[in-house]
Amino acid sequence: MPRSKASSKKQQKQQKQRGVDFKKIKRKLGRKLPPAKNATNTEIKSKAIVLPEQSVASEKAGLALSKKGLTLKELLQQTSHHNAKVRKDALLGIKDLFQRYPAELRLHRYIVIEKLRERISDNDRVVRETLFQLLKTVVFPACKEDNQGPFVSLMMAYIFNAMTHLAFDVRLMAFKFCDLVVQYYPPSFSLYAEKIIQNYEDILRQNQCYLQDKGKLKSALAGLVRCLSLLPCNKRNTESCEKNFTGQRILHAFEPDVPTESAGFSLIIKKPKDLVPVLVNCFQEFIPLVHSMLLLDTQSFDCMHYILQSIDLAVGFVVYGIRQGKPALHGGPDVAIWDQTISSVLLKRFFNVFPLNATHNLSEKFDDRFFILNIVIAQIFLHYSEWICPPAVLLEKFLEFIEVALLGKVKGLLLSNLKLERNFRILMEMEFKFKKHYDLKICSDTRSGKAVWEKHVLSLLPFIPKLIQQVSSDWKSRILQAFTKTFEDCSPDSSLKLACLSAIEEMLVPTDEMVCPDSSDPLFEHQIIWIRALPALLILVDDKHPSSSQVVLHLLLRLGQRACVNSSFAWEYDNIQYSLCKFYGSCQEEGGICYGPFIRLPRDSQELSVCGLYYFSYLDQLSLNSIACCCLCPELEPFVLFRIIEVLHSSFNNGHIQIADHISFFVTLLSRFKVFPENINPVVENDVKISNRGTFKLLTNAVCSCLSQMGDDSLVFQLLEKVILDQLLSKPPLDNACAMLRMLVMLDSKPTRLSEQSIITLSKYLSGYLIDVGHCIPEDDDDTTESARIQTCYYFFLPCFFLFDRSHKLLKLALNMMGSLITESTTSPLSQNYIQYAMDRSNRINAIVSTLLLMHKDAKVKTIISLFKVETVNILQIIYSLQSSEEANMNIEERHKIQCAYDRLKIITGVLHNELPAI
Amino acid sequence: MEKMDLVIASSSITEAGIGCWDLDSGAEQLRYKSSASTQHGLTCVGQRFIASAQLREPSATSGSVLYWSWSKPQAAVKSFPSEPIKPFVSNSVGTYVVGGGQSGDIYLWEVESGRLIKKWHAHYRAVTCLVFSKDDSLLISGSEDGCVRVWSLIMVCNDYESQRASHLYEYSLTEHTLRVTDIVIGHGGYNAIIISASEDRTCKVWSLSHGKLLRNIVFPSVIDAIVLDPGENVFYAGSRDGNIYIAALNAESSSSSSYGKHILSSLYDHSKAVTCLAYSIEGNLLLSGSEDGMVRIWDPRTLNIVRMFKHGKGPVNNILVVRRPNHLTLGAFSNSHASSRRQCSLLPPPLEKYVNMDEDANKTTVVRLATACNIPPDAPYYSSHIMDEHIKQVEQQGSSAANEMEVERLKLENRKTMHMVEQWKKMYDKVHEFCVNELLNGDEVGSTN
Repeated sequence: MPRSKASSKKQQKQQKQRGVDFKKIKRKLGRKLPPAKNATNTEIKSKAIVLPEQSVASEKAGLALSKKGLTLKELLQQTSHHNAKVRKDALLGIKDLFQRYPAELRLHRYIVIEKLRERISDNDRVVRETLFQLLKTVVFPACKEDNQGPFVSLMMAYIFNAMTHLAFDVRLMAFKFCDLVVQYYPPSFSLYAEKIIQNYEDILRQNQCYLQDKGKLKSALAGLVRCLSLLPCNKRNTESCEKNFTGQRILHAFEPDVPTESAGFSLIIKKPKDLVPVLVNCFQEFIPLVHSMLLLDTQSFDCMHYILQSIDLAVGFVVYGIRQGKPALHGGPDVAIWDQTISSVLLKRFFNVFPLNATHNLSEKFDDRFFILNIVIAQIFLHYSEWICPPAVLLEKFLEFIEVALLGKVKGLLLSNLKLERNFRILMEMEFKFKKHYDLKICSDTRSGKAVWEKHVLSLLPFIPKLIQQVSSDWKSRILQAFTKTFEDCSPDSSLKLACLSAIEEMLVPTDEMVCPDSSDPLFEHQIIWIRALPALLILVDDKHPSSSQVVLHLLLRLGQRACVNSSFAWEYDNIQYSLCKFYGSCQEEGGICYGPFIRLPRDSQELSVCGLYYFSYLDQLSLNSIACCCLCPELEPFVLFRIIEVLHSSFNNGHIQIADHISFFVTLLSRFKVFPENINPVVENDVKISNRGTFKLLTNAVCSCLSQMGDDSLVFQLLEKVILDQLLSKPPLDNACAMLRMLVMLDSKPTRLSEQSIITLSKYLSGYLIDVGHCIPEDDDDTTESARIQTCYYFFLPCFFLFDRSHKLLKLALNMMGSLITESTTSPLSQNYIQYAMDRSNRINAIVSTLLLMHKDAKVKTIISLFKVETVNILQIIYSLQSSEEANMNIEERHKIQCAYDRLKIITGVLHNELPAI
Repeated sequence: MEKMDLVIASSSITEAGIGCWDLDSGAEQLRYKSSASTQHGLTCVGQRFIASAQLREPSATSGSVLYWSWSKPQAAVKSFPSEPIKPFVSNSVGTYVVGGGQSGDIYLWEVESGRLIKKWHAHYRAVTCLVFSKDDSLLISGSEDGCVRVWSLIMVCNDYESQRASHLYEYSLTEHTLRVTDIVIGHGGYNAIIISASEDRTCKVWSLSHGKLLRNIVFPSVIDAIVLDPGENVFYAGSRDGNIYIAALNAESSSSSSYGKHILSSLYDHSKAVTCLAYSIEGNLLLSGSEDGMVRIWDPRTLNIVRMFKHGKGPVNNILVVRRPNHLTLGAFSNSHASSRRQCSLLPPPLEKYVNMDEDANKTTVVRLATACNIPPDAPYYSSHIMDEHIKQVEQQGSSAANEMEVERLKLENRKTMHMVEQWKKMYDKVHEFCVNELLNGDEVGSTN
């Protein structure tokens, strides 16, 4: 208790002290003395002092936090922490944060990028990698839609800085970043092209470095390939880009004043040229490696491949610039010197390494690798040869390779042709070693080898057309031979086939110059082979690969358009029509129709092939037949049907189709077209899915207008008269009969051009036709649908009315025939009538009466029919006598029907009778 | 102001001939006989006379080109080119005529002399239409092979350049899949637009300066004729189904009408196929010729028919709107025989069949530009070839004066030469003296040594 004791002592002491000297002044608790009068004011006043908060304690509610509970601000601060691990964690944290709150990124992207870019040249590898991942996976994809100009310019300054960093690693990484930017924002390359290429050039010059870190080098090179591939190097590419924009542009608009991309590139023409020698040097570093190493490892291969691709692109760009022939690209006095340096570098140091070949191993996979590299070298060579004619020896070497590559037996060549001895020795040595591996591989790799072959040979094909113009005729035929073989062998759906086709198009129908085939040229023989292969290909592809079909059809159309008249091409083209019969469809002997792929192709392909028909200098019956088959197919779109008619008619106008053939084509269409449903129902007529009667009406109109434009109507009529009568007598369905009658009426004039004999024949047919149509007329026409039905019937009657108007004799004969048909027995096989529907007698009488009634309703026809009162009354009498004579044989319903009909007719004739005196 | 427009329409059948009407009054003027014109084969050469390419039937192997003077119904001049000519146009002042052949060749003639200046293989198949640009420097041709090509006449006539270049044409526009039926060109020099119609049911708008497709308009039927609205806001397209469609040019038409994208509306008069169109700027009227032989005149603002001319039974295939020539006042056809005879004698000679190679191969053609608008309408434009002849004639007339000048010149020359001879003589003497001295001195020195 010493403490308590002490305290108590103290208290005592205090109490003791409370003596005279120290008199305690008693005060009330809680009160303060008023300040002394002379007191100094020691109070210090200030505004609020804010102390920096401790992060743990700060208020974070409502802010976006990373997994570790840090805000964006804190994380950004931490990215510049001196500890690499903290920096890395901060970056990871940012990534995490943005993945959780994508909106944060959009709000703060400039701040974020400003902070992050400092880390591009970070000393720590892991930090850079993390940053790269962050940018790649989160930041760039999210900012893709925005205006990226300022964004990229923020980045680029730091990237360029990093590219000149002392540490080699950082520099390589910088190229990766640059690649990333270009990847997400391709136009940035054109803005910074000069600097970027300059930096690549610098790094590649330091040849001691690359062999150390091939992985990094590889990725940097991949970036270079990407950058260079943005250079315009091929006319075709730029054209296809431009094509996409058509149609959206406003006409008469001013061109935008912004410099176009290619204009920007014209300034940097020198840079890719500088790059070429550097790349060649770089490539040569690898050569000893290839020779010394047992296996060409993947990384070296990739590096070499990228280097070669870069050279290819750079050379392509240079050649493109030269071919464009723009003074801006050519400009400057030292251009010629530049050109010479590149060409000598390429010639002396680069092309002589060709062909690369495996010295040590025989595995398929590695062979493929060398093959790929060789193909790229060949590509560079072909670019180069478009620019400067190479020495013959070199050309020979490459041509040999190209020929063999096209034939697909590269491996054989490389082994046999080059250093055979050594290879053989090595082969013996290696055989044992690789035996197992090799045996296994050879089976599995043949397919992949084929795929590799296809993929890479593809890149050679676009050069073939130019190449064959340059080489001697001996080589020309060899290359063409190989090319034709490639074309024939590859599968119809492969991209190789498409590439072949486009090369063929260039060689067959060049756009630039007008070339007529020259039979002495080795090309000619192959051209003919290709032309003949096209229709077969079209049929082979069927509808499985519409894009291939489209290409083939387009090629055929071009061929048709550009085949000079009377040349052998025109002859070949005309012959194609026979092969195309199968493409359209063919009528088989049993009556069935075998439709070709045409029906199943999409509409644009159909249009292309229809357009091709126009360019046949003649179309004979056989082909017209198969086209007609196609037209009659119910699945064919009406649009295409009308296009076919239109094109064939133009073709006829140009004298490519015989008039008889043309007419019989039309008659076939109208007589064979299957209208469904067969019974006439106006309600469904407008519904395309249920009925195609509407289409058929349009078809009839189209055919009629074509016929009326054919020239002298009376001549056409004479040609048509017999054909149509023959067709009518074979009892076609009512729709087709109506169409044919319309055709006849269209060409006929008043008075009729029909011959006496045909009037008699026609009257027989018409009697049956009228009864059939009359059969469809409803008896009471109150209902709206019924009146619509009358309208339809009227459509069928109309051609007859025209005929009657033009030949009264026809009407008279038809009325007589109808009268005699009443009594005729329906069952008698001998009777020659053309009734198809109203078989029953009472129905027949009813139909006749309805027809007559309808004729009386039409004012114009009424005046004609009133001239034939005798015949009408005759019919009335026949009905009357029938009623009285055969009363016993009829049941009540039938009798009632006939009675009704009789009454109705009687009223009409009565009306007639009353009117007669007036006339 | 008195309206001066005449409408000229031709047909493909001989009986109908070439009809001519006053657009304002509707009065029919003289009918020019026995013409079976080809499509796009009617032209008015510099308002001086009417010319038309003739083809009796589509498959005929020979055709002709006829000239009619304004005042006579019979064809005055007949030419027989080496192959049937289908499209036939002249430039605006009437110095040259251009015809497109069945084989794809284009022929360029000088009107005044009838000389065939140039013939070149332009297309793979028959040429179907030809159009001059507004400044006459470019020629645009359409062909049966679906190709539209733009030719610079300067390039075509320049033998040296054309041999060097890989191709003669400026642009070859190959998007059409079928025969090109009509082409029009807008205003605006090299920034103009070209519109081409084809049997593939499309009209395509091209930029002349870039040679690129700007717009593709798909129509419900084949378009056989097109004409531009003077403001280039729309163009009218006469189709085979009898409609004249109005298609938008300047604005992006967002609403697609029932006819299709960019098509605003249509004019329809139950006619047969529309075969040709023309536009009268003065009267602001649209003219259409139809398969049924009628020429319809529409008011494009109200879309109504204003007037109809009956041309004949056969299809109308060309319509031209031309200014009435000055010497043809109203009624001039009937009563001014004297002037008609004068006019007739002014018709140029027939067109030559072949290019005349041996004659002045190096001579280039000179075109005198129309410097002012007050040039009389029939002011002749001559090529250097003709001028040479004229100069020769002048020289022959004034030979004595020329001789005097020649004598003067020779005298002068003689004097000069005499002077020269004197000088040379002096020189020779000096040299001779010098040499002799040298020799003698040398000998002396030698002898002393």
